[in-house]
Amino acid sequence: MRKVAIVGTGLTKWGVRGATYKELVQEAGKDLFDDVPNLDKPEVDSLFVGSALVDRLAFQAYPAPIVAEQLGLKPSRMAMRTEMACVSGQSAIRVAYASIVSGLSDVAVVVGAEKMNLPSMAEVQSSMACVLDREWDGVNGLNAPPYFALVAQRHMHEYGTTEEQMAEVSVKNHDHAATNPYAHFPKRVTKEKVLGSTRIAPPLKLLDCSGITDGAAAVLMTHGDAAKRFTDTPVFIEGLGQAQSGSLVVNLESLTTWLPLKRAAADAFKMAGVTVHDMDLAETHDCFTISEIMEYEDLGLCGKGEGGTYVTEGQSRIGGELPTNLRGGLLGCGHPLGATGVAQAIEVTRQFRAQVPQERYVGGDWGLCHNLSGNANNHAVMVLHRGG
Amino acid sequence: MGEPQETHFAFDFVPLQSPDQTRIFPFYENLKKGRLTTTRCKGCGATHWQPRVVCPDCNGDEMDWVDLPANGKLFAFTAVYAGAPLGMERDVPFVVAVVELDGAPMKVVARIDDAKYEDLKIGDPVRLKVHELADGRVWFRFVPT
Repeated sequence: MRKVAIVGTGLTKWGVRGATYKELVQEAGKDLFDDVPNLDKPEVDSLFVGSALVDRLAFQAYPAPIVAEQLGLKPSRMAMRTEMACVSGQSAIRVAYASIVSGLSDVAVVVGAEKMNLPSMAEVQSSMACVLDREWDGVNGLNAPPYFALVAQRHMHEYGTTEEQMAEVSVKNHDHAATNPYAHFPKRVTKEKVLGSTRIAPPLKLLDCSGITDGAAAVLMTHGDAAKRFTDTPVFIEGLGQAQSGSLVVNLESLTTWLPLKRAAADAFKMAGVTVHDMDLAETHDCFTISEIMEYEDLGLCGKGEGGTYVTEGQSRIGGELPTNLRGGLLGCGHPLGATGVAQAIEVTRQFRAQVPQERYVGGDWGLCHNLSGNANNHAVMVLHRGG
Repeated sequence: MGEPQETHFAFDFVPLQSPDQTRIFPFYENLKKGRLTTTRCKGCGATHWQPRVVCPDCNGDEMDWVDLPANGKLFAFTAVYAGAPLGMERDVPFVVAVVELDGAPMKVVARIDDAKYEDLKIGDPVRLKVHELADGRVWFRFVPT
């Protein structure tokens, strides 16, 4: 079977940007094409665009041809948009992987992009609420923060997790983001500041939540035989898993154990022939502080209910068992939905290539990317390996 | 180009409820009478939430309407203080909960009216309240008992 590698990366500055969806795409494309000087654009035969809410937030359907034109590409073999809400980014990489493995594609550009800040925040929130089942969940005012607040309340109720432990996730990821010039929130915060931040949906406060962020990210992917033409350090995708279960909140198998994450991770690790304990670093989907705590547990890094202790012990910091969310995570970088999954893969790639600031450099050989969507009913996991 | 026109959206969050828009219109007719109902498959007997027109278990498409309990308990709850969607901005803060229905293996998500977040705890009893919209549509909420 063909091997598939990420061989180039491109990012925009993330934040509240005075830039349109298409302009963000151009910026990510420039950063990517600057990174792969050996690429002739006509070689790019395929394009995969991860954008979740472009129809509503940019009032623009059918983005793939638009992105292709913005980037100066004429994909001749496979072109499509992938939409899986917050997993749109990793879905684009996943489909690119499948297309390259099958031989349908040889050289693919993957773009994740979202323009989220509009003049009306209520309109943005309405679009976000439609990620849930609009008729039966969103109608009740349920949206990402109140949904994850329900999860946090149950986790606290069942396992004794505390708001102080959740705050530690935000402190850690902001520490990391402070080293990341691409981040929306590159500034350290104290535990007291997190605990005292604006109430959003209790027990979640503003600094327990990832931001509403504009941004884009892009990678170049190709097969193993071609990878070395573009970089000395290709990063190979050795394992992938994705699992989905349920849609309505009340039909989920569990609020406090993410069974689809366990299934997706088991598949990805089995495919790669490694375990979570072989990982040198991880990018996990910290859309809310409680999410990262549950990810430690459901990835098997600690026992169920011990995720709060795992973070307060420093196990997910640099020097701990598994440094997690080194770019700053969603909490520190913000969360332009479709861009997040691509940016997670870029962090692992740049870590392996020693292209990150020394303060957060971990490097190593094995990296994990975890992306979740909706009411955590869909999880995608990738295991990456440093080549070269 | 003239001045911007007033915009009318085809959708808001509340489902369209009339027989020309949905086959589960009896749900809304029952709710108007104070009954929370759902469908049970005539073929295999499975009860589903939300109401269905085809059974996802046995593929049957003949359904009975059955009543659900009007009383339940808070399984989980929060309150929306910020970030409410369009049409709900003026309601903040409002409580939203997962309600475990009494005597039925069924939970529903609903707003809890007449309640402050601080005054509630997991397990508190609540009962059904029918919320009426100005245009005649209805939706279900709960209130503390």
